[in-house]
Amino acid sequence: MIDHYDWPGGREAMMRFGPAGGPVVVAALPLFEEANRTRAFMVTILRGLASRGIASALPDLPGQGESLLPTGAARLAAMRNAFAAVPGAYTIAIRSGALLDAGARKGRWHLAPQPGADLVRELERVRQAGEAEDFAGNIISPEFLVELVGAEPDPARVVRLESDARPADLTVPGAPQWRRAEPDNDLVLAALLADDIAAWIRACEG
Amino acid sequence: MLPDGKLEVENAVRAVLRDVLGLSEARAAAFREGTPLFGALPELDSLAVAGVLTELEDRLGILIEDDEVDGEMLETFGALTEFAAAKALK
Repeated sequence: MIDHYDWPGGREAMMRFGPAGGPVVVAALPLFEEANRTRAFMVTILRGLASRGIASALPDLPGQGESLLPTGAARLAAMRNAFAAVPGAYTIAIRSGALLDAGARKGRWHLAPQPGADLVRELERVRQAGEAEDFAGNIISPEFLVELVGAEPDPARVVRLESDARPADLTVPGAPQWRRAEPDNDLVLAALLADDIAAWIRACEG
Repeated sequence: MLPDGKLEVENAVRAVLRDVLGLSEARAAAFREGTPLFGALPELDSLAVAGVLTELEDRLGILIEDDEVDGEMLETFGALTEFAAAKALK
């Protein structure tokens, strides 16, 4: 269901999934190109949560998706403020979505969280590969890049793919959807992750 | 676990190409030392190269500087594996 939410800087759209009652999970997609590559995958996870009785919201943040704010005017602080205004006791985020995961919550869950400095390094490589001023079609202001360099995800339950050697609370088999040159989906991995999120929320709720 | 041998590096390079380019298991498994990559695989454009390099860095725990990236290291599967192994196994 398409809904909207208000934050101190305006109003943005969001998709809602699942039942009307119970705990709500607010979801953050990665920034820029990886948002396109993981959107269908994230929606599959949220539908999986709905079938497990858990409600969720996937907000467009200012400068993202259907937002009226031009992408070049997007700022990390504003996106975080908007995300914090979306009601929900729990959050889940993929990759650099972890940098947007703000607000008072009972718990956070991050899939392969990416520190801001790593993202900026990657963006620079993408910009050079495109031999243009934009970043593979994304217009990103210098101010936004400065905000990103120092950004680190907050503590969370961290899930990583088996191919990723960094510390994690859980590792799962599967390919990184966020790297795929052409967007794809992974129904098996999405179901596995929905199971883990549902079990984690049940444990948090006691 | 980070790879500690040549075969592990080769398998990591194979898996990265499969995952980034969306190749079938069979197609990735058929890569040999002389299999041409850049210019021969239509999926491997310059943006995909950026994804391959970054994912290799993550999986092998290495850093690839931009001035090290040239056509030669991307010419064949063997050349890319040699490059990655020289970084990962030193």
